[in-house]
Amino acid sequence: MNSNKIKHILTITFLALICFSFSGILIFAPKKDYSMTERRTLKKVPAPNWQNLSSGKFMSDFDDFALDQFPLRDNFRSLKAVFSKYALFQKDNNGLYLYKGWLSKLEYPENPEKIGRQISKLNSIYKTYLENSNCKIYLSIIPDKNYFLAPKAKFPVMNYDYLLETVQNKLSYAEFIDIFPQVSLESFYKTDQHWKQEKILPVADTLLQVMANQKVSTFEFFQLENPFYGTYVGQAALSVKPDSILYGVNPDFTQVQVTSYNSGSPSPALLYDMNKAQGRDPYEMFLGGSDPLITIENPNEQEQKELIIFRDSFGSSITPLLIPAYSKITLVDLRYIQPSLLKNYLDFDSQDVLFLYSTLILNS
Amino acid sequence: MIFSSITFLYFFLPAVILVYLVMPAKAKNSVIFISSLFFYAWGEKLLVLLFLGSIIFGWIMGLLIEKKRNSPWSKVFLIFAVIVNLGILFYFKYTDFFIQSINQSLKISIPLLKIALPIGISFYTFQLLSYEVDVYRGTVPSQKSFIDFGTYVAMFPQLIAGPIVRYSDIQTQLKNRQHTLEKTSQGIGKFILGFSKKVLIANSLGQFTAVFTTSTDLSVLYYWLYALAYMLQIYFDFSGYSDMAIGLGKIFGFEFNKNFDYPYISKSITEFWRRWHISLGTWFKDYVYIPLGGNRKGKGRQIFNIFVVWMLTGLWHGAAWNFVLWGIYFAILLIIEKLFLKKFLDKHNIFAHIYLLFLILLGFVLFNASSLNQAVSDIAGLFSFGKLPLISAEAIYYLKSYGIIIALAVIFATPLPKNLYIKLSGTKAEKFLMIAEPLVLAFLLIIGTAFLVDGSFNPFLYFRF
Repeated sequence: MNSNKIKHILTITFLALICFSFSGILIFAPKKDYSMTERRTLKKVPAPNWQNLSSGKFMSDFDDFALDQFPLRDNFRSLKAVFSKYALFQKDNNGLYLYKGWLSKLEYPENPEKIGRQISKLNSIYKTYLENSNCKIYLSIIPDKNYFLAPKAKFPVMNYDYLLETVQNKLSYAEFIDIFPQVSLESFYKTDQHWKQEKILPVADTLLQVMANQKVSTFEFFQLENPFYGTYVGQAALSVKPDSILYGVNPDFTQVQVTSYNSGSPSPALLYDMNKAQGRDPYEMFLGGSDPLITIENPNEQEQKELIIFRDSFGSSITPLLIPAYSKITLVDLRYIQPSLLKNYLDFDSQDVLFLYSTLILNS
Repeated sequence: MIFSSITFLYFFLPAVILVYLVMPAKAKNSVIFISSLFFYAWGEKLLVLLFLGSIIFGWIMGLLIEKKRNSPWSKVFLIFAVIVNLGILFYFKYTDFFIQSINQSLKISIPLLKIALPIGISFYTFQLLSYEVDVYRGTVPSQKSFIDFGTYVAMFPQLIAGPIVRYSDIQTQLKNRQHTLEKTSQGIGKFILGFSKKVLIANSLGQFTAVFTTSTDLSVLYYWLYALAYMLQIYFDFSGYSDMAIGLGKIFGFEFNKNFDYPYISKSITEFWRRWHISLGTWFKDYVYIPLGGNRKGKGRQIFNIFVVWMLTGLWHGAAWNFVLWGIYFAILLIIEKLFLKKFLDKHNIFAHIYLLFLILLGFVLFNASSLNQAVSDIAGLFSFGKLPLISAEAIYYLKSYGIIIALAVIFATPLPKNLYIKLSGTKAEKFLMIAEPLVLAFLLIIGTAFLVDGSFNPFLYFRF
């Protein structure tokens, strides 16, 4: 047999093997419900009917199913990430980048329209609830990881000065508490966008010094047994060393009562939810993750000081560090509750009110 | 459905190949025809009925044109067929363009009809037209079998993105074609190379050009990077798809003519259009330029004919004024070359290459603009020394991020890799290639699949054709 014929046979054999093998597995293998690495439900085969066939929804759902259930999906995603980075020398993969062990997502440029929308939301809260109250209003902005990492890695950087200036100017009724000097790259998880609770004691201290004229309390930190693979790991599909989650405990916590209003009615919740620590996103252990409204009551605080924090997910990990200074802290996440409903749950009287948002949320 | 999708690669194609293999020779065309209708319906849903209707109409017209060849009715049927085909194309593709143009020139506001454009309509309409004209001219006999005719028009390898296949090129293959190991293997190789061009290079560059369009950190360098990237993206996207089509055709026993022949090595615009989208260029030459008189009726008429052909070529590519302008741009360049420049270019290779690449780059910036204003702004950006910074942080970032892909694209846009392969084939390296080639193809399929599985970014540039 001449070499050309061998080549033809090998070509047909290899390619047919690959094609038909993956087809067979895709058709006959059991389908997965959920992707731990991507933290989302995976699509199954859609059931055809006249409506979804004639509208084309069946076809697009089928295409999504084919992508989601493709055999060795995670391995293929990793292969693509590795090939892009090390063979094609691409600096980011779908906006995610790895720099000296740090994973992050490109966050630029600043988007004036989106910043404006976030500002409008906060100003609307001010006008509706705070303008005629005795509340002391504070504003603090959390820098995202890119503020520190992108310049080091020589990646495009958002104009943070523009964002800070704009937000401060438009929320001039709020006293600005600058926490940028208390944050560094090491304050963040390497594999997640969030900051580490054990590293933000200086931030809590700065906030408390301004708002409550107090220093931050002392905390004993404990480490979760399981390694923490942050949200960026699944998105980046690159092999990285995991983080560890540490959480701080204060003697006051034994009597603290946490109440969640996730369902609309009050129900007991946890400061640190150990079930969620084992779940798809261990960061959710801090106050149980996304929640429209949470109250934390600390009977040990004698002066009956109250704090309301309008926040994003970064607020979940810093709030426990503020508990000893307040008898009640209320956390509001405007992404999950209509502002008009707040009057059913809150009386804005003379509490400290803190707008605490990360640059990621302000620019989204 | 597009070739570079998991659904096509791992559901549709294996299923069709299996059925095709087990069916007897007489039924193979039916397999292609029915699977092609399914392929079309997957993307276009009920518009497959329009497509089927066009096929039935084209088949009947071909029979009638031939039957009445010796009477004036033959011409009547031809004219009727041309009007209906072009009418359908005009309705779906150009109605809103026509309305918009009237609104703009008369300052009125007739509401747009927002008609969905059936994918591939420009390609299959031109195939039908060429068939009907060729039957009228007596170049080919009409196809008596509806299935065979439907196979010619609908066959999925070339249905939605060409090449525009002439009936004369495959009429014998419809009835009698070879299925050999060599042909199948070559078809697979061609398909995988086209797939790699599309997924690894074109899609990657497409991500960059998409980022550029939303950037606020513009610079002269950034504009040039964008222009270069788009010029490469459209070549690898289009030629990659053509290669996939030709490869698939080969797997099913058909030999299609090549559609791209390393156009970026051309030394003139004239040569470029003999290497770029060859099937379209020859279609316009055979069915518009030559019937108008070509170059046989004097210089003046030739210039007019060139303008008509290129305005139509521009319009074929898209229903917008920047495409018409793009066509006129090439008409002017071609005329200048025909009148005096070509002789100079033939004697000055280096200048000719630079001239060609520069003008094609500008042409594609115009082609990709969303409007005439955008086109002017983009072209101005290339030369905005003083008004824009020379470089910007974003431009440097993307130069570093896409530099390797651009370099690979430049190399593979030339015949160098192919020539190297041919050179090695005749030497002792042949034994090495015997194993290496199938392994490389397998690797490319795996990597390409990885890109598909991971990416949601897989644009189909020909939706407007």
